[in-house]
Amino acid sequence: MTPKKVQRKEKEEPRIGVYVCHCGLNIGGVVDCARVAEFAAGLPGVILSKDNLYTCSEPGQELIKADIKEHRLNRVVVASCTPRLHEPTFRAACEDAGLNPYLFEMANIREHCSWVHLHDKEAATEKAKDLVRMAVARSKLLAAQEPLEVPVTRKALVIGGGVAGIQAALDLADSGYKVYLIEKDPSIGGRMAQIDKTFPTMDCSICILAPKMSEAGRHPNIELLTLSEIEGVEGYVGNFTVQVRKKARFVTDSCTACGDCVKVCPQVAPDEFNAGLSMRRAIYMSFAQAVPSTYQIDMDLCLNKHGIIACDKCFQACQRQCVDYSQQDQILTLDVGTIIVATGVDVYDPTPLTEFGYRKFPNVITSLEFERLINAGGPSGGNLIRPSDQKIPKTVAFLQCIGSRSKRSNIYCSNICCMNTIKDALLIKEHWPETKILVFYIDIRAFGKGFEDLFQRARREGVSFIRGVPGEIIEDPETNSLTLIGEDTLLSQLYRYEVDMAILSVGIEPRKDSPVIQRLLNLSCAADGFFLEAHPKLRPVDTPTGGIFLAGCAEGPKDIKDSVTQASAAASRANILMAQGKVIVEAITAVVDETLCQGCGMCVKVCPYSTIREDPETKIAQVTQASCAGCGTCVAECPFSAITQRHFTDAQIFAQIDAITEEAPETKAVAFCCNWCSYAGADFAGVSRMQYPTPIRIIRTMCSGRISTEFIEYAFRRGAAAVLVSGCHIGDCHYINANHQTEKRVNRVWKKMERLGLDKNRLQLAWISAAEGNLFARKMKEIDEIIQGVTPEEIEKTKQILVPKKKGKGEGTEPKE
Amino acid sequence: MKFWRLPLDAGSHSIPIGELHIIKDRCKGCGFCIEFCPNQVLKEAPEFNKKGYHPPLVTKQGECVNCNLCEIICPEFAIYSVLKEYKELTAEDIAGYSKK
Ligand SMILES: Cc1cc2nc3c(=O)[nH]c(=O)nc-3n(C[C@H](O)[C@H](O)[C@H](O)COP(=O)(O)OP(=O)(O)OC[C@H]3O[C@@H](n4cnc5c(N)ncnc54)[C@H](O)[C@@H]3O)c2cc1C
Ligand code: SF4
Ligand code: SF4
Ligand code: SF4
Ligand code: SF4
Repeated sequence: MTPKKVQRKEKEEPRIGVYVCHCGLNIGGVVDCARVAEFAAGLPGVILSKDNLYTCSEPGQELIKADIKEHRLNRVVVASCTPRLHEPTFRAACEDAGLNPYLFEMANIREHCSWVHLHDKEAATEKAKDLVRMAVARSKLLAAQEPLEVPVTRKALVIGGGVAGIQAALDLADSGYKVYLIEKDPSIGGRMAQIDKTFPTMDCSICILAPKMSEAGRHPNIELLTLSEIEGVEGYVGNFTVQVRKKARFVTDSCTACGDCVKVCPQVAPDEFNAGLSMRRAIYMSFAQAVPSTYQIDMDLCLNKHGIIACDKCFQACQRQCVDYSQQDQILTLDVGTIIVATGVDVYDPTPLTEFGYRKFPNVITSLEFERLINAGGPSGGNLIRPSDQKIPKTVAFLQCIGSRSKRSNIYCSNICCMNTIKDALLIKEHWPETKILVFYIDIRAFGKGFEDLFQRARREGVSFIRGVPGEIIEDPETNSLTLIGEDTLLSQLYRYEVDMAILSVGIEPRKDSPVIQRLLNLSCAADGFFLEAHPKLRPVDTPTGGIFLAGCAEGPKDIKDSVTQASAAASRANILMAQGKVIVEAITAVVDETLCQGCGMCVKVCPYSTIREDPETKIAQVTQASCAGCGTCVAECPFSAITQRHFTDAQIFAQIDAITEEAPETKAVAFCCNWCSYAGADFAGVSRMQYPTPIRIIRTMCSGRISTEFIEYAFRRGAAAVLVSGCHIGDCHYINANHQTEKRVNRVWKKMERLGLDKNRLQLAWISAAEGNLFARKMKEIDEIIQGVTPEEIEKTKQILVPKKKGKGEGTEPKE
Repeated sequence: MKFWRLPLDAGSHSIPIGELHIIKDRCKGCGFCIEFCPNQVLKEAPEFNKKGYHPPLVTKQGECVNCNLCEIICPEFAIYSVLKEYKELTAEDIAGYSKK
């Protein structure tokens, strides 16, 4: 997609209609609306100005529509509540009357004025006038915009063939979409294929999973790509092009899984599926129920290296001649509209916790090894045996939270290991009722449906639960039996227990290679390493990147039921996009003026969505419109003012600053607030009727990353007493991490002010969330104090010496008037 | 995760170990056996043979798995392996696999 040129419309005289809303007494009880309307009527470009009781009501909207037609209005300004509430209503009314909705502007005189200045009617009215003046000034510079419609390819890619990936693929395939299911291992199934029974129902895991696996394997809409990994992703929501490496399997599809080849292969290695508890050959199938049910050769192990045939035993043994040593990796290019990431988890390796002796003492095993031991199809035929002497243990200990809930490993709770241990304990009791079982825990987390029942059942069956995980395990070298030493924190007593075998209930953690997926798909990770959702409550399976969704443990530790639930949710989200067949991109994207771009690449570095690229030849920046989220960070970064954000142009923002500072700037503060957090926080202060001083004038941008140092300096040059830049808390940015740029820029201005001997306290930076109305109100009081303390000399000095640096051409989009 | 434990069924598997015989003076130094041995068991000997070539030298005794590749590709019939024994798997072998 080629970026559109900045729209430079032929000059038409503005014909602005202003409507000042009383909102019953909500505004009218504090602000003198008639006076505000009268004031607005006198502003240049305003053709008519009215005040009415409820502008958002049907009659109110009808009035606007009629006026647009009758008075040929080409701009509409409504001064009422927050645009976060009724902007869509009024935009629709304008559109109805044939006015482009982007030519509508709002002044928030309720949440940001009448509700927070209930007791100072005069100052509130003056502030309302200013807010209307700002809106009128901005409205003159608005341009008609057309939102972009992007087609969505009706095919999906699912990365990871665990239970989550399988479920997501099946849901989408059943809805009629073509699905590519990519699995890096030789078979789909994931962790669930490895475990024996599942809590809380104690179903046989592979028995309930295998039918789903085969369904995925033979579904006409699913193309299963095993031994495959993604290597490159390009494009944007609805239009991704994905490169996939499908590794050579060296055994063709005609394999009937007879197993004749295995018997003759001389090369052996530990079997990954059985957690290293058994051996496999170089030619093998990972497990009996594998899908696809085809053998493969592990070429790292096979004697045939670099295409030289040193051994052809399996080839000779195979009657159907399925062995093909010359197979090559294939690179596939897939076009898909949506992507679901279901890459699952790794299991924590307890080796670093040396006090437990894992890797030193044979009878210390992990819970994953336990699953394979207790499984009838596993290496011991379902007999729980001590690795040291292959005898059935009489006393068994489970140690909880190994690798979880500790600064030494992972700090989060792994969510599944408490219930997994209870399940395991019951399994032992079922087969060997005489076994003494001790569970050492910090606390037992049995929070899900049916979990507490299972916990109580384990207690009834005589499993002992002891609070306090052992500090150390020591081994008797003669018997290989273990002594656990620790403190029972309920009894405040030290304990020593002798056991035959200890099972470390290990946690789960992000896949080692998740940074690769993160980079390829431009996702974000939380501090714990799991992929971050777009919103933890309301968009739990979306990612910040449009068209990409999360399912299963890739998003955070969870059990099978939650993984499946989330998979269906992700499939349904992807389905919505593909069913619509198109996405609308709001017309607030960044557009590069090719004549001004110098190819410095600054914008490329700051775009959180990696959506800007340099033309390889001309070096001119190109913004992919469909994947631009409209944060405006690049616009603020460009030293040559070569990028414009549609609907949030430099000129519009400068005009708002001008309007604020037109009268008595030394009594006012210019505030820049981001739409999602701090502006919403100011709204919340209003809704909660928190009272604060009147000097603040808020300019709304989508992201605090839009605020360039020029805006800040310009406000000071115009004589503003103080400037506030505010946005979402670091880590909460609606645009991944654009507010890091905000922080850098404010720091830069602070340094400059310091260097010039100016009072840098006049520039404030605040992270305020949508819920922190009280914080916003508090900040307003602080700023009021700052304004009181600023001397006229300081303001005058600032005007003189805070001049812009001379930079390249195009600099100084600052208004000429 | 790297494996360390001797698998439970290790006893039922064994590794064939070849004993290599090199007829040094037949070798014409083509280096095929050195290059193509899947386990990189051989390297060039520092000394010359009668013909003035460097014959192969066994470096990793005990890692020849008796695949006979060198025997098959050697144009001069200068090297051959015979089965010496079947070796039992050890924990070191397992650690070695995980490194690969
Ligand atoms: C020891 C243990 C016991 C458990 N017991 C229970 C239980 O009793 N009941 C219960 O409800 N839950 C249990 N769980 C949890 C359960 O295993 C998980 O909830 C479930 O497996 C999550 O499924 P998933 O698809 O998200 O991830 P996974 O099962 O981890 O599957 C992810 C898949 O993606 C593949 N993959 C990874 N990266 C890539 C890549 N880059 N490209 C392509 N493919 C990739 C992997 O190979 C794998 O096949 C247990 C977990 C463990 C570790
Ligand atoms: S060719 Fe490779 S996989 Fe086949 S039998 Fe020989 S060593 Fe095993
Ligand atoms: S689920 Fe239980 S054992 Fe696992 S980390 Fe959480 S509290 Fe610890
Ligand atoms: S920085 Fe923001 S506005 Fe600029 S291209 Fe990237 S997403 Fe769009
Ligand atoms: S027999 Fe095979 S493993 Fe042994 S030295 Fe020759 S090529 Fe190498």
